[in-house]
Amino acid sequence: MNAAITRILAIARKEFIHLARDWRTLVAVLVLPAVQLLLFAYAISYDVRNVPTLIVDQDLTPASRAYIAKYEASDLYDVRGRVANIEAVRESFERGAARIAVVVPPGFARSLARGDKAQVAVLVDGSEPNSALVGSTFSRALNEGYGQRIQAQWADARGIDLERFGRIEPRIRTWYNPERRSADFLIPGLLVVIIMIVTTQQSAVTLVRERDQGTEEQMRVSPLRRTELMVGKLLPWTLLAFADMVAIVALSTAVFDVPLRGDVSFLAASILVFVFCSLGIGLIISAIAPSMESANIAALMISFLPGFMLSGFAFPLDSIPTVLQWASYLFPGRYMMAISRGVFLKGAGFAELSDQLGYLVVYAVAAITLSSVISARRQR
Amino acid sequence: MGQAATVGDAATPRERVSSAPSSDMAISVRGLTKRFGTFTAVDAIDFDVRRGEVFGFLGPNGAGKTTAIRMLTGTIAPTAGSALVLGDDVIAKPEKVKRRIGYMSQKFALFEDMTVDENLRFYAGVYDVSGAEFAARRRYILRMADLEGREDELTANLSVGWKQRLALGAATIHEPELLFLDEPTSGVDPVARRHFWDLLYDLADDGVTLFVTTHYMDEANHCHRLGFMYAGRLIAQGSPTEVRAAYAPDGATAGTLPSIEDVFVHLVTAHRDRQEDGA
Repeated sequence: MNAAITRILAIARKEFIHLARDWRTLVAVLVLPAVQLLLFAYAISYDVRNVPTLIVDQDLTPASRAYIAKYEASDLYDVRGRVANIEAVRESFERGAARIAVVVPPGFARSLARGDKAQVAVLVDGSEPNSALVGSTFSRALNEGYGQRIQAQWADARGIDLERFGRIEPRIRTWYNPERRSADFLIPGLLVVIIMIVTTQQSAVTLVRERDQGTEEQMRVSPLRRTELMVGKLLPWTLLAFADMVAIVALSTAVFDVPLRGDVSFLAASILVFVFCSLGIGLIISAIAPSMESANIAALMISFLPGFMLSGFAFPLDSIPTVLQWASYLFPGRYMMAISRGVFLKGAGFAELSDQLGYLVVYAVAAITLSSVISARRQR
Repeated sequence: MGQAATVGDAATPRERVSSAPSSDMAISVRGLTKRFGTFTAVDAIDFDVRRGEVFGFLGPNGAGKTTAIRMLTGTIAPTAGSALVLGDDVIAKPEKVKRRIGYMSQKFALFEDMTVDENLRFYAGVYDVSGAEFAARRRYILRMADLEGREDELTANLSVGWKQRLALGAATIHEPELLFLDEPTSGVDPVARRHFWDLLYDLADDGVTLFVTTHYMDEANHCHRLGFMYAGRLIAQGSPTEVRAAYAPDGATAGTLPSIEDVFVHLVTAHRDRQEDGA
């Protein structure tokens, strides 16, 4: 038993030495997360503000001007000017000078005065889907609110009590992230993606390297057991992934004001298990890959693409095709994503997320066992 | 299994196997076979290596030498046959044997990004050699490998001869009783090879059994006994003189015996021709 610990520590110490001597890896581990964090927190944002907007007022009445004033007052729209017709809108869209155009057709004021439905066209540049979606949703909401007010004025003027007609007024409230700040949404997800990429990438090359330089064969002849080798290799990477986690959590709460509402120790425990999952995937790649290059590429493919696409980081999992939804169960990212967002934003802990942690534990055990079995079989 | 009983009473339940009849043998192999699918890499080989002997294991590439070594070091399990290493059944109890054997391959198995000292420390950790024992071994190896004063140098910066000697040091950090060397001198210049063989003789003088594979026929002459592998079969064995005499033309005298290289070429071509005739 004592000898086993000595052997594990010998492996762990040697892995630390490799790490300390390999500045490229060190940079990848320490700088990459910071760069990604800044990139995602600042440059890439789903927040929609100040969408450049054009007005086509073909009615030119006090009613139409009052309606347009609503757009000018909202900080969602940046009203860039007025143009005469649809042709001019098309030209502006093509130049990228505007992404939304509000067209108030002739007869708008007359329709309102009659109590009819007044038609307003909102033209949206769909080539940038996110702001297009948000912009159109908001203008629908704006129209609804405005329409109801007009309706009420019209009813008042005629002495009709609208309450009697049981009018339903939708009120939308966004929970957990009321301002819908994308940093709040992205950074807890980014934590998952970064740890996945860094650990998978690094562990993927480790066994391949040992095989190339003959040290794997040498260790197989020694009393070192397979599991001791794996545990020794896991130790330094677990510590590093933890350092990454602490840095990201500290940065995100201190600099980006991301709320951390839930149980931090549960988050840490989940990250630990998640690190084992990622390392397990890396070790499986390492056991299969014929060369360092192919190990690197496989790790990139497996950590980057599913990390971003199949974890719920970029797209909600229930909005991706069914086949990909099934595929997403094969990667640990989705379980950790649920935990990270749950803890950060919803204030959740063990009670709410224990099932997700359970999946991660099963995943970690399966991945590491599989990597041991494959690398042992390779030698036969 | 029956063959194992004829070699040594390995079936004795107590751990007194070392006192069994085969205990004077470092290696005792009967019917050792390894198949990978339909391919037979090692085909029912029998041989013994005495303790303290330098045993040369010769054969062309792909003859099955490395596979045989892997079975003897407990790295892979044989398909059939028995193997006693240092008196223990390496198939049943590889862990028991591993602490007492060493292994060095042509790849040297050194971590190039670690210093001389760190490499030694790593292998000492793997073999649980610590404290005063390690200090003594480290001193001895640094002197042996001519690396005193270069402990903190990165292994990558060493030339091949030094790497080779450091690899030998790392492979013997735990003072193994039996050392397997798989083409330890390939790619090394003649002077360094000569130096390396001097070190091997020092080990042999200390009573370490050496099991060496090589392609260099001059090295074969340094061995006490030889085994020739071809296509998974052990086709000849004996001392260098015995082997040379066995394949000498009629009337050859001690001075006109064929060289080991001649014997090697003769054996390989003869077996290849026989195989082709049979096919």
